[in-house]
Amino acid sequence: MEKIKKRMGLPNASEDLSSEMEVDAFRRLFPLRYFERHLAESIRPDGRPLMKARETSIFLGAVASANGSALVKIGSTTMLTAIKMEVMTPSLESPDEGCIAIDFHMPPICSPIVRPGRPAEASPVVSKQLSDTISSSKMIDLKELSLVSGKAAWMAYLDVYCLDADGALFDAALLSAVAALSHLQIPAVAMNDDGRIIIMSDEEGQKQEPVNKEKRKLTLKSILFSLTCILHKNYILVDPTSEEESIMETHVTIVLDTSGQLISFYKPGGSVLAYTAAIQDCVAISRQRVQELKSILENSAMEVE
Amino acid sequence: MEINRPDGRTPNQLRPLACSRSVLHRAHGSASWAQGETKVLAAVYGPKAGTKKNENPEKASIEVIWKPKTGQIGKAERESEMILKKTLESICIRTIYPNTTTSIIVQVVHDDGALLPCAINAACAALVDAGIPLKHLAVAVCCSVTDSGGIILDPTKHEEENMKAFAYLVFPNAIVTVLPERSLQVSGESIAHGIITSVTQGAMSVDDYLHCLDRGRAASARLSEFLRKNIEPKPTSEASKAG
Amino acid sequence: MAGKGGTTPATYSPSPATAKKKPPHLKEDWLRPDGRGFHQCRPAFFRTGAVNAASGSAYAEFGNTKVIVSVFGPRESKKAMLYNDTGRLNCNVSLTTFATPVRGQGLDHKEYTAMLHKALEGAIIVESFPKTTVDVFALVLESSGSDLPVIISCASLALADAGIMMYDLVASVSVSCLSKNLVIDPILEEENCQDGSLMIACMPSRYEITQLTVTGEWSTPKINEGMQLCLDACAKLAKIMRLCLKEAASDSQE
Repeated sequence: MEKIKKRMGLPNASEDLSSEMEVDAFRRLFPLRYFERHLAESIRPDGRPLMKARETSIFLGAVASANGSALVKIGSTTMLTAIKMEVMTPSLESPDEGCIAIDFHMPPICSPIVRPGRPAEASPVVSKQLSDTISSSKMIDLKELSLVSGKAAWMAYLDVYCLDADGALFDAALLSAVAALSHLQIPAVAMNDDGRIIIMSDEEGQKQEPVNKEKRKLTLKSILFSLTCILHKNYILVDPTSEEESIMETHVTIVLDTSGQLISFYKPGGSVLAYTAAIQDCVAISRQRVQELKSILENSAMEVE
Repeated sequence: MEINRPDGRTPNQLRPLACSRSVLHRAHGSASWAQGETKVLAAVYGPKAGTKKNENPEKASIEVIWKPKTGQIGKAERESEMILKKTLESICIRTIYPNTTTSIIVQVVHDDGALLPCAINAACAALVDAGIPLKHLAVAVCCSVTDSGGIILDPTKHEEENMKAFAYLVFPNAIVTVLPERSLQVSGESIAHGIITSVTQGAMSVDDYLHCLDRGRAASARLSEFLRKNIEPKPTSEASKAG
Repeated sequence: MAGKGGTTPATYSPSPATAKKKPPHLKEDWLRPDGRGFHQCRPAFFRTGAVNAASGSAYAEFGNTKVIVSVFGPRESKKAMLYNDTGRLNCNVSLTTFATPVRGQGLDHKEYTAMLHKALEGAIIVESFPKTTVDVFALVLESSGSDLPVIISCASLALADAGIMMYDLVASVSVSCLSKNLVIDPILEEENCQDGSLMIACMPSRYEITQLTVTGEWSTPKINEGMQLCLDACAKLAKIMRLCLKEAASDSQE
């Protein structure tokens, strides 16, 4: 804060107004100029270098009553995901496949722009992006969710709740969905006489034939990680906060999987055009981030065991 | 490698394009755009006074309403609306009429693959028809990657479902532009090489994606030629439209 | 995109049926499922400043019941509201889909919103923010009995964190009547087979009650006993809440 005030005090012919105003007022009235002053020194207002993402932490098993859950924090952005498994009858075209239903919610607690009854604009977009990304990447083999071919299969309801919205919502949501899927334990079930599937409790374990022997985990072929960047003039800002996202409009989200394939390159408009050089820079930064996130996820998985 | 397409096109060939201007008489601007069987109708109303609460009143704002052919408006429509809104905001000159809203209504007439690029092209043509000031045109193509790694342009719905991955790409296009001469070349690439919007689905390698970009750029030149020819002002003596 | 197929198919949960079993507490030596005494509350955990985007927020955990409350404001009232000398309080309570053991069961607890509003409006000094609205939003992450008292206590802590002027902190506790026994701070299983419940939200320092809710049939001595139990528990709870606020204030000073 002191550093910024000193910088503001330097004589600058074209921007005398800034030296007379308080920092907070300047930040609110001229947000773009405030940020550009920082970018010229290759730093951002919260002290991060341009290419550095915020501190990320994953906590598996946050919701004890769900079959799989994860709480993810990227800086202040907090996402809580829980997976609940229910039984459904599979469709006729694919009797061996289960189903995953992904939903993203932004409850009113997460941000001042969300009101009860008036959902945020970002919420259905992130929800659809999430479900498209996870289903088109073939990370999960739906055949693993089958119980009795043609009669019963698992429907996994994956609900992502945003508890605190501070930029990079899609990144945090994808990371928490992936972490919850890696933590998911499918319960052991048996079919009772009526043809309904019920969870095997220890007392009745002997009576029925278990459909799946013991609790198991889903195999994830290759894990997805994403990174959101902002393009502004010639700068690439990694992992924006909500303030940065609201000022600079050009966002790029890159989803890579651990085998290096590009799952999604999502750039919805924006005044800055993305040239090949910028695209390759963003992809290179994303690859580094994938390694970081992969090790964070592995560490948190080890802590659970 | 030989890729056999059901309708006999080569991998780089686009479907027959059809565009008509001013199809709706009461809208300030309208256009219909068809690529093969996929047809989209776009109507533009505006600029109207006032902006919505969340928008910046110092700039003109754009509102997109996407009407699907059947069914209720769900998440997919909201996502398409957002992508269209952000794409069109980047081509409009927003500082000319601040504190106004321009509404663009997109009606899907038939969906046979590459729906979003078709809608973007239709919306761009409708904006030109309405006379909204634009920095440059936006031209959209769909490129898909086959399982063997080949690139196919403008797939039909049937082809889209069988592809490993596809990408919707939007490129800027300008012959004459308001931007100064210097900025037409950015780090050795001309301005037409940058992408405004990119939406991908499915897993592909990064090299495949860069190839898609190259093919898309080549196709955008053809598309923009067609667009310009079709939106030239017609030499008729029509009475000016109301509103 | 959940696999192929248009509409989401009907699903059912494979958990063993949770029918209302014969209350086991008819036995003389019935113990509570989590081993507490009849007049013992669950250990309470509070933390303020859980949500950065809000003016004030708090997270409360009572056993397995977890609640987050965010307070936004005072902020501009909707234009439709006429000029008002006093401020407005706007509450909303929602549950996550995974809050209840079976997905989507308790989502229609609309009465929680109205009850939260009534419990808090007596404690807030609405004259201190005229023409504006204070929004209190609560999200129940996991519901495991005694939800509304936890929501109320957490909300008053969030209001204190936001700096909204109040007469006193509001602490809230509920008591369940299971045949002849009074059980404080019931969990979900006990609530399902209760004969009546009594919930009190009070301001301990002023010894005033902001909300009292009674369901079921209660004799007068039983009500007195229940109220006394609740008020004592509220006083202890308020001490814990104050401690939490003091710690948060001293942390931020460092």
